[in-house]
Amino acid sequence: MSFNARITLPAQARVGEIVEIKVLTRHPMDRGGQSDGKGGTVPRMILNRLTATYAGEPIFRLDMHTGVSANPFVSFTTRAVATGDIVFEWREDGGATYTRTARLTVT
Amino acid sequence: MDPGFPLRYVRDDSRVCGAIGFALALACFVLQPSPAFADIKSGTEFLSPDMRRQQADETRNPAFFWVEQGRELFSRKPTPDGQACASCHAEPQQSLRGAATHYPQVDAASGKLLNLEGRIEQCRVERQGQPAFGYESPELLAMTAYLGSLSRGLPMDVKTDGAAKPYYEAGRAFFERRQGQLNLSCQQCHDGLVGQKLRGDTISHSAGTGYPAYRLEWNDVGSLHRRLRACSLGVRATQFDYGSPEYLALELFLAGRARGLPVETPGIRR
Repeated sequence: MSFNARITLPAQARVGEIVEIKVLTRHPMDRGGQSDGKGGTVPRMILNRLTATYAGEPIFRLDMHTGVSANPFVSFTTRAVATGDIVFEWREDGGATYTRTARLTVT
Repeated sequence: MDPGFPLRYVRDDSRVCGAIGFALALACFVLQPSPAFADIKSGTEFLSPDMRRQQADETRNPAFFWVEQGRELFSRKPTPDGQACASCHAEPQQSLRGAATHYPQVDAASGKLLNLEGRIEQCRVERQGQPAFGYESPELLAMTAYLGSLSRGLPMDVKTDGAAKPYYEAGRAFFERRQGQLNLSCQQCHDGLVGQKLRGDTISHSAGTGYPAYRLEWNDVGSLHRRLRACSLGVRATQFDYGSPEYLALELFLAGRARGLPVETPGIRR
């Protein structure tokens, strides 16, 4: 279980309201460079980008580098426009991606 | 930093000190009597307000990933025709609420001292017929964190009399004994210098009520024994194995000292 995410949104929001979205991620964020015991080094293996789209539009992007701790936490705000899915996508070194979806209910 | 091997040059008792050292040690203990157990404070009291909020907030405390993993392991069958933990321990939120407050405890059948990790491994090997997870494996940490979290907020309540008494006394002796190249006892810092600074950190009462905890230094969840190994390394004393009788006895003594403090597993520590 090297990846997992915990996304927290308000249960519902009014149109035009500013909502806070909290994203806690489980990932070792290995910056690499250690000896692999065979004369080489362990490659870097971090989540290098988190993007979020809401109602089909990108609302947030975070580029991460080796200074970011393991299991990073980030929170950001967006304006509630309509009920819909917020899709989070993480891009890992090596090209793997992880996706999670959270639904924002707007009244 | 936790290299996982004992340092080569260690001195783990006070026999090699001269009489002067012994007299000083004695004077030290007279000047710094043990605080009443009611005065023992949780490690949380020594954290910054922000870290305290982070510990309490499930949306920000990364250790809850381990709790979540433990909850899954608890209800998953290890083999298709095997028994899950939840097959016997149905409704763990009720049936195992408070269980973690009684560990370490003496196992009635074997007479050995078991901590929560030891009990989980015993159940897994003897009742489920599975290979042990192994101390400090992510699975055992997850299970321990999950079972600990079921007792969150309940007061620690271990038995220190009867069959547990010899273990408790051994733990106390360990706590009070000078050891290592720096020739320090646990007590000298964790009773005598509580609240003062050790480099950037504040010395606490060594109540292990938040463990398994997410330690910022580790970037990871670790057991109390991993923390004790770090302490042993710090005073350049012998690092005992995970689950060793020495650390188990010490864990019982610390749990007895922390009687009445709420369980905070999974905690956040520096």
